[in-house]
Amino acid sequence: MRTYVVGSGVTKVDRHYERNYLSLINEAVNKALADSGLDISDIEYLVVSSAFTDSILNQVDPSTYIAQNLGFRKTRALTVSSGEVSGAVALDYAHALIRSGKARKVLVVGFEKMSEYPSWIINRVYSKILEHEIEGIKNVSPPEYAAMIMQEYVRRYGVSREDIVKWSIKMHENAVKNPYAQLQFNISLDLLNRALRISEPITMLDSHPIGDGAAALLVTDESITKKMNGALIEVVDIESSVNLPIYLRDDITYFSSTAAAYKKISSKNEIRLDKTVAVNVYDTYDIYGLLIIEALEICGRGEALKCLDEMPYLNIGGGLKARGHPVGATPLYQVHELRELMSGSSWVKYDGEISLAHSMSGPDNNAWLILLRRWV
Amino acid sequence: MKHSISIFWRLKDNHYKIYVTKCRDCGKAAAFKRLRCPHCGSQNVEHLESRGLGELINYTVSYYRTEGSEQYLPRVVGLVRLDEGPVIVGEITDVDPNELSASTRVEAVLRKYSSDDPNGLIYYGLKFIPIIKR
Ligand SMILES: [Zn+2]
Repeated sequence: MRTYVVGSGVTKVDRHYERNYLSLINEAVNKALADSGLDISDIEYLVVSSAFTDSILNQVDPSTYIAQNLGFRKTRALTVSSGEVSGAVALDYAHALIRSGKARKVLVVGFEKMSEYPSWIINRVYSKILEHEIEGIKNVSPPEYAAMIMQEYVRRYGVSREDIVKWSIKMHENAVKNPYAQLQFNISLDLLNRALRISEPITMLDSHPIGDGAAALLVTDESITKKMNGALIEVVDIESSVNLPIYLRDDITYFSSTAAAYKKISSKNEIRLDKTVAVNVYDTYDIYGLLIIEALEICGRGEALKCLDEMPYLNIGGGLKARGHPVGATPLYQVHELRELMSGSSWVKYDGEISLAHSMSGPDNNAWLILLRRWV
Repeated sequence: MKHSISIFWRLKDNHYKIYVTKCRDCGKAAAFKRLRCPHCGSQNVEHLESRGLGELINYTVSYYRTEGSEQYLPRVVGLVRLDEGPVIVGEITDVDPNELSASTRVEAVLRKYSSDDPNGLIYYGLKFIPIIKR
């Protein structure tokens, strides 16, 4: 059985103070259902992804309460939680259900409510993506690794710290054209000196914002192959790999689990990425965006900054930097954006046959790739 | 952060001391006491206590505020290459960041990590300070 995405919907990423998670999810689900022509009673499985509901919402297994509140009466429901890659893992679960023939219509829903508490409380929650018994207990936090990685990259490849902001500038340019992006404005390099410092040299200009969001994907087997503008989007393959912690790596400027996952998915499916293939990658910090496109062999080591202008389909939604990062939903936002791109509903025209979504938890601690193909 | 006496008691070898896990199969080493070699998965490992001396190889001055860290900001977080070989992550303390550089010699000292208000449980553990030249 092949897996197709026949419906998708997202909410704007924002600080939705006036709305709870059920309200955001309902909006995304309604869009995905309307898009696919299916009804809630058609759904066999509801697969929910979220990273932090226990810490932030005091709720374990939100899938049960989503099913109860949104009228899923005949649906099997479960929650997947795997840090920043939860959404990719949820889609992999749905993909496995379809491939095995166990289900034909699966709704994958990802969400996160990141704005329920002041930033310092959310920062503590977000830091749980690192290893508590070693890093968390010492108060080591994700941007501190990003800072050390950026410094090592600058030292090793002789690029300037200012040039790295080129990534963020490009992400904001894309987000201006994405109505669901959190930061729909342009930025310029002269803001760097005034930008709030997070962990030297990482500033707010280098980092993703805090925001809420929900995304829904309706995935089915070939019995339901409703096309979007004449195109049908297939989930071809999902691959992943786990890395050593940062302090055990020989080279912190090389994302080797992203590279290992890419080697698996590219050889199995006989594909190769280049600068003209649409990719949607996890730029939790701008420096990570650079390391990812190098690990995916789109650019040589230390050369990512030179490639940016030649990549018209890189993070067309604005990336984590500017679309935002509602953690449990982010990989599903990526797939939604790629589906819109490949079916001609995006702000840019794309003729490519394949596209790839990359997600990871922490600095390449666990990297996941989702390969999509367009059928016309 | 909620503090647990039992969790921290079990972690004492990784926070009151520094151990290095050395693999008898692949020959590689890793910071902290581990059940298996993280490089090859072997259980044929030995645990050696580090002297707690090393060289700072990378660091950042952090303003990232997390619940409970307010009183320590800004703080310096760095990677230290132990004299025994492996790299360890930790906080560099009692230092003016302007006087630090990568390659600074450092030594481990016992300091406060965090406290659990209002119960007042305190986690102590190892941080690093520049070695004072005598
Ligand atoms: Zn080994």
